[in-house]
Amino acid sequence: MEPGPSTAAEFIAGILIPPACREEVLGDLHERFQSPAQYAFDAMYTIPFVILSRVRRTSDPQVVLMQAFGLYLAFLGAAWFLDGDLLHTQWGLLALAIPAGAIVVGIMLEDAYARPGRRSGYGLARGPAFGVALAFLTQMKDLALPRMVLLCGCGLGLLLSCAVRMLFPPASNQMLGVNAPAYWLERSGGEMPPVLIRILQGIAAVFSIGAAGAWIADRAALPLPQVVGVLALFAAVFALLRRS
Amino acid sequence: MANPESAGQFEQLVLTAILSLKDDAYGVTIHSKVAELVRPKSTSLGAVYVTLDRLEDKGFVRSRLSDPTPERGGRAKRCYQLEALGERALQESAVTAKRVWDVISEAWGRDWGKRFGKEGAR
Repeated sequence: MEPGPSTAAEFIAGILIPPACREEVLGDLHERFQSPAQYAFDAMYTIPFVILSRVRRTSDPQVVLMQAFGLYLAFLGAAWFLDGDLLHTQWGLLALAIPAGAIVVGIMLEDAYARPGRRSGYGLARGPAFGVALAFLTQMKDLALPRMVLLCGCGLGLLLSCAVRMLFPPASNQMLGVNAPAYWLERSGGEMPPVLIRILQGIAAVFSIGAAGAWIADRAALPLPQVVGVLALFAAVFALLRRS
Repeated sequence: MANPESAGQFEQLVLTAILSLKDDAYGVTIHSKVAELVRPKSTSLGAVYVTLDRLEDKGFVRSRLSDPTPERGGRAKRCYQLEALGERALQESAVTAKRVWDVISEAWGRDWGKRFGKEGAR
């Protein structure tokens, strides 16, 4: 019988290695096998690099930043509405960043471990859901958020991340160079129907106009309906010009 | 951000290893060749994987999965091949390295190269 690593060792290494490169990395580690200790050492020094490389290939920095910003705003909004005093404590703003960061890490890891190929719309929600689970695990004693703030922030964050991932589906193989074959640039997410995109755009436009109108009306001491009406008119003209 | 047309030092080593290994360029053999090139320094298999992924992203190399073999526990190898872009990047690096070598040899004498070569081989 050929000497080789134990089934248990290969099983553990196999779980840790992202599926997209599992076959060749496990094969290489098997080929280099000399002793169980050497195999464990080799795997320990190799697998983190493999995971990082996979994360780099599957994460789009712009989308990750967008999600991180949106998630932080979700927790900030939840804290502002439910427990305003939290924002004035010494570590309040940092405590809000911890679950938001955990969700982002969860999303990146889930993308790295996803099987290559097209993913369904529901599959896109797996990453944020995993991230929310991580966010609950990161709640330490001193920096733990109040339960309601955490629940509402996670809920809002989950919705927001899913929306961002539907609009910008994760890339199965992210390109760096300009000379890459075009098919590599194909996104792996499920296709969104154009009607749904228009509905989402409409909702976003209504919210943006409302928020901007409220802010302008408050600052300039103008009547809110008129300000919102003017902004809506501008938006309608812009949309018409874009379409034509 | 790195220029996609140029190759870094470790990338040059990996490209050289792929060039010399021809059809037998896969993770383990590339790592052995790179380790030979960077002697007496050491390098990890993980660093080679990261660089191979980056080179593939830049369009310098392409990869394919070979048939499974028993010595690998019935698993396939990912074999790498140089692309035209990779060859060009390697040529540019070699030309630059040659220029550097010439300047140093001129400054420190031709024997320096031989002396250093012997010391490096030890």
